[in-house]
Amino acid sequence: MGNVLRDLRPLVAAPAATKPQCSSLSRSFHRATLRLQDDSKSDKPPSSSSTTYHEHYQAHSAEQDTAAAAQEDSTSDPAADQASRPNTSYQDQGGEQGEEYETEEQLQARILTAALEFVPQHGWSMEAIAIGAETLGLSSASTGMFYNGAGDLVLHFLAQCNSQLTDILAEQHNQVQLGQAERKKTADFLRDAVETRLRMLIPYIESWPQAMSILLLPHNIPDSLKHLSTLVDDIWYYAGDRSTDMNWYTKRAALTGIYNTTELVMLQDSSPDFQDTWNFLDNRIQDVVNMATTTKQVECLHQIALRRNKGVKR
Amino acid sequence: MAASMRLLLRRVIRLSHRYNNVTAAGVSARSGCCWGPSTCRCFSDVAGDRSTHFGFETVPETEKAKRVYKVFENVAQKYDTMNDVMSLGIHRLWKDMLLHAMHPQPGARLLDVAGGTGDISFRFLEYVRSQQERQKRRTVRSMQTPSSQDISNNYFTEDEDTSQESRAVVCDINKEMLNVGRKRADSMGISAGLSWVVGNAEELPFDDDQFDIYTIAFGIRNVTHIDQALQEALRVLKPGGRFMCLEFSKVTNPVLARIYDAYSFQMIPVLGEVIAGDWKSYQYLVESIRKFPDQEEFKHMIEDAGFYCVTYNNLTSGVVALHSGFKL
Repeated sequence: MGNVLRDLRPLVAAPAATKPQCSSLSRSFHRATLRLQDDSKSDKPPSSSSTTYHEHYQAHSAEQDTAAAAQEDSTSDPAADQASRPNTSYQDQGGEQGEEYETEEQLQARILTAALEFVPQHGWSMEAIAIGAETLGLSSASTGMFYNGAGDLVLHFLAQCNSQLTDILAEQHNQVQLGQAERKKTADFLRDAVETRLRMLIPYIESWPQAMSILLLPHNIPDSLKHLSTLVDDIWYYAGDRSTDMNWYTKRAALTGIYNTTELVMLQDSSPDFQDTWNFLDNRIQDVVNMATTTKQVECLHQIALRRNKGVKR
Repeated sequence: MAASMRLLLRRVIRLSHRYNNVTAAGVSARSGCCWGPSTCRCFSDVAGDRSTHFGFETVPETEKAKRVYKVFENVAQKYDTMNDVMSLGIHRLWKDMLLHAMHPQPGARLLDVAGGTGDISFRFLEYVRSQQERQKRRTVRSMQTPSSQDISNNYFTEDEDTSQESRAVVCDINKEMLNVGRKRADSMGISAGLSWVVGNAEELPFDDDQFDIYTIAFGIRNVTHIDQALQEALRVLKPGGRFMCLEFSKVTNPVLARIYDAYSFQMIPVLGEVIAGDWKSYQYLVESIRKFPDQEEFKHMIEDAGFYCVTYNNLTSGVVALHSGFKL
């Protein structure tokens, strides 16, 4: 009897020694489940708009998006080790008793979204972020989380606009699939997509030159180019482009040129409801369409001339 | 004159011989102690009275606070001079980088724990004031042609400026250090927005959720229970508040580490004896630096206390590390 008791004691002691390892394992599982829960229950975070590029060529489904986004975020996020730490103190603060735990990126996204309201008054700057944080009940010192400062704010806004555009285009696509709407011609589709996207800039048009200069800073150029390229790719994808040859590049280059020039025209436009900008956009798209048709015509003529030459030679 | 110099030199050499033995033992003990402290503490727990490190010595925990108090009481008068001499003036750059990383917004409230002679607080107030000046200049420039609406708005906003005042509270356990700091503040003419409070970092005399930024520069290694100090920091910070810690840490480069060790143990106590007449305090200084956990370990301690987004930067390739965490 005594022997049995003595044998049990080491077993009881052992779990205590291995507890730290077990707790870290259980914490990682908890973390993983929290992440998936977060992403499936909360709104799609704006940063995942960059991952939609990779999911274009797969079937679209909300679970796949969020699962892939969760994986991508956890591998690319430098603060992933605390990403899903229970955020109890903040949760109680905001009175959000029943909601899921919030990750740090979600909190940062919320601060930046709140800061956008103050951009017209304070410009794209740390002050706008500080006031945004204060409206959420956080101290202005939390702006220290944004190492890129104003760049973070502008990039967040870009990501937000792009994801909004993708949602609108997906909705239109669904409607066409369901037969509730007519399929637009490519030129019209492009025109409407670019106009919708540029209209999102209207509330911030006064300070947009400052935002563009921030995006041109060397450390921001990779990110801003990435957002631009995913935007253009999204628009062409929903326009129905499935090309796999040189056309893929030429089409995106053309649309990038159209978008950038129209954006610049919009900055200096003072006509009512930016009518001059939309006219400019129409003309540019018409140019591209004309160029496409003229190249086709030139090719046809070339073929005819070749056949005639062959005939003569014989 | 020459005789007194010779006497001084002889005294220095005698002391260096005595303490070199201690350091040799200390250096070898250091590597042993690094993975030993937890087991040591277990044994002393069983014995009924906990002990901790005071430099390379082991002392009961209750005594450490008293001995640290004595050290700083002795060095208070020459503290700033010695800082300049020992770090060759680089400590000013470290503190400037702390402020730059902090980037305080107007209206922020700072708690500078172990602030002693007030270096961080003075820099903080200056930074905020210069930012406010820049703001005012910007608004004036943008108001070159004010409309009547702008003018009337200006009359209302002038009253709000007083609530935007930034405030810094310097808290230290040692009254001598605070006195030196107060004299410095008076001589520099900084008085508005600055208060001096005696307090223990493990038990701060403030309510919850009071401060935007909590800094502790070169002070946390002297605290007996670092985790308690971190808990207190979490308590007094507002939600979204930032914890920033500047502290000596492990040098990453091995070559530099050798040079740094030689400089620390051979030069610094000698300088302490020559300039401040106090070898032992500066011996304690360099030993306490070696006993402090390294960058990663300290980062884990901060995370365990409940801070988020914890990061650190090495300054001067690891001689000093700047840790930062947020209360979210």
